[in-house]
Amino acid sequence: MTNDHPLIQVKNLDLYFGAFHALRNVSVDFHAGELVGLVGDNGAGKTTLIRVLCGIHAPTSGEVFFDGRKVEKFHPKLAIDQGIETIQQSVGLCDNLSIARNFYLGREPVKRILGIPFLDFALMREKSARVIRQFGLRDNVSTDDEVERLSGGERQSVKIGRAVEFKNRVVIMDEPTNHLSVREREHVNELAVQLKEQGLLVIYITHDIFQVHKLADRIVIMENGAKVADASTDAMTAEELEEVIRQGGRVVEKRETA
Amino acid sequence: MKHLVRSQGIGAVIGVAVMLAVFTLLDFSGWWTVQTVSNVTQFASILAFVTMGEALVIMTKEIDLSVGSVYGLAGVSFITLEPPLGVSGSLLVALLIAALAGLVQGVAVVKGQLPSMIVTLGGLFTARGIIYVWTGGSVHNFSPDARAHPLTRLLGGELFGIEAATFWLIAIAALLGLLLWATPFGNRLLATGGGRESAESRGVRTERVKIVTFVLCSLLAGFAGILTLCNQPQTHVTLGENMELEAISAAVIGGCLLTGGRGSILGAILGALIVVSFRYELIALGAPSSWYITFVGVVLVAAVIFNQSLARRLGHSV
Ligand SMILES: Nc1ncnc2c1ncn2[C@@H]1O[C@H](COP(=O)(O)OP(=O)(O)OP(=O)(O)O)[C@@H](O)[C@H]1O
Ligand SMILES: [Mg+2]
Repeated sequence: MTNDHPLIQVKNLDLYFGAFHALRNVSVDFHAGELVGLVGDNGAGKTTLIRVLCGIHAPTSGEVFFDGRKVEKFHPKLAIDQGIETIQQSVGLCDNLSIARNFYLGREPVKRILGIPFLDFALMREKSARVIRQFGLRDNVSTDDEVERLSGGERQSVKIGRAVEFKNRVVIMDEPTNHLSVREREHVNELAVQLKEQGLLVIYITHDIFQVHKLADRIVIMENGAKVADASTDAMTAEELEEVIRQGGRVVEKRETA
Repeated sequence: MKHLVRSQGIGAVIGVAVMLAVFTLLDFSGWWTVQTVSNVTQFASILAFVTMGEALVIMTKEIDLSVGSVYGLAGVSFITLEPPLGVSGSLLVALLIAALAGLVQGVAVVKGQLPSMIVTLGGLFTARGIIYVWTGGSVHNFSPDARAHPLTRLLGGELFGIEAATFWLIAIAALLGLLLWATPFGNRLLATGGGRESAESRGVRTERVKIVTFVLCSLLAGFAGILTLCNQPQTHVTLGENMELEAISAAVIGGCLLTGGRGSILGAILGALIVVSFRYELIALGAPSSWYITFVGVVLVAAVIFNQSLARRLGHSV
């Protein structure tokens, strides 16, 4: 683990959805060059936490620092501009648009004719096809096809390919291997390690405890909207980790390293 | 072709073909007269402007009920402000008023997180009320000088027997078609309607997209009002009344899905052509004009059934 200042620092974050307390006083640091596993039960608040980091939700109270600077406004555009690329769990693809259009949504490449920006269709098709094919998109699916007709795994391939293509400083993966076959799963896991080795921060959410224990440098466990453990993978075996989640996060304070 | 099927425009193409065939068989001499054809193209062009704007708004998964009133308000402004401002000045101000109407409503919908159905219903009444108060119910006319002004002629004259509105429609429709299908803005507009949350997660500022679309819609409606009055420079307080219903019908007949994210400019134009054709054919057949609205209703429902089943066949979620 690196010792320099954290790339993302979350301090005393609280978030309410109406009366529902979804994040409870969460504080956690993430460093560049680190692969952090974020685990916990269904509904623990993992997705909600990373949705704050990528600008979809603004916290009710608490602070987020990116690269030492306090985040004042939360919007996905701002997070993306800062270099945070996210593979979302349940959103991210517009069903009515083609693969190529989805791939470049929000950052479309253009060719200017008389100063007017026109979509560069050739580039959009060619490049998105090249990237997504690496993640298991079959040859009989064209990048002109609408996302609506894709299988769960194919949709996931599009999201992963896109995150890799635009990777910058942070890649957040919310259950990225969902719907994927064994081979693609291994590919994604290797990829997560590669990204980290390139110096990026990778936050990896999963329910596959044993897998993430192998991959990650550090594991953060959430339960009921609160962080209940934050330990280096050297300090805790996968079995212990599983036990902690099963127990609903009690007993672990002694292992706290951060 | 693939594009036309996907954007649901195919129904309107078939609709126009069937309609023309039926009208020809039923009433060849009444339908294919210079008078009918020129009336139909003129009014279809005008309605097409309003429909294109409405279609864009529907594609963002909102709706604009105020287009008829904005059409009327822009038209009334154009005529009423001409004496002090001149033709070009009043044209500019009329368009500004239309744009402002779109801006206010768009901002209210987006920032207030209000249903556009209600906000623009308010817009419909407000703009119509302003027309009543402003004109005091009286009729206004252009002076002979204003009628002869080159700008009035450019917008309301004709060339080779074809009304100026039709030429304007071809030019502006081509631009809007390009905007929708071939620019980043168009991509984001369709994404906003097709999956707002997903679009936002990719950094699309969907609120801006919607506001811009509302402004565009009102501008198109306002421009249509101005075109109408350049052709016949006389206002009345009911100018554009019920036009929102025709425009929404035309957009739906043209293949726009109210679930957002699907539709086309070509479909909107053909939808407008179908609605207006029915009006004139019924008149040509000597049916009482009140029947017209019933027919539009029947065509509308038939179109919805066709387009929905087409959408299901293509596997779209509707
Ligand atoms: N937009 C929202 N409005 C209201 N409640 C929400 C919203 N988003 C999430 N929640 C609630 O917040 C809680 C945490 O949800 P979250 O999606 O963060 O869980 P998770 O840890 O990602 O679970 P999973 O492993 O099932 O993906 C859940 O109880 C959920 O119902
Ligand atoms: Mg989740």
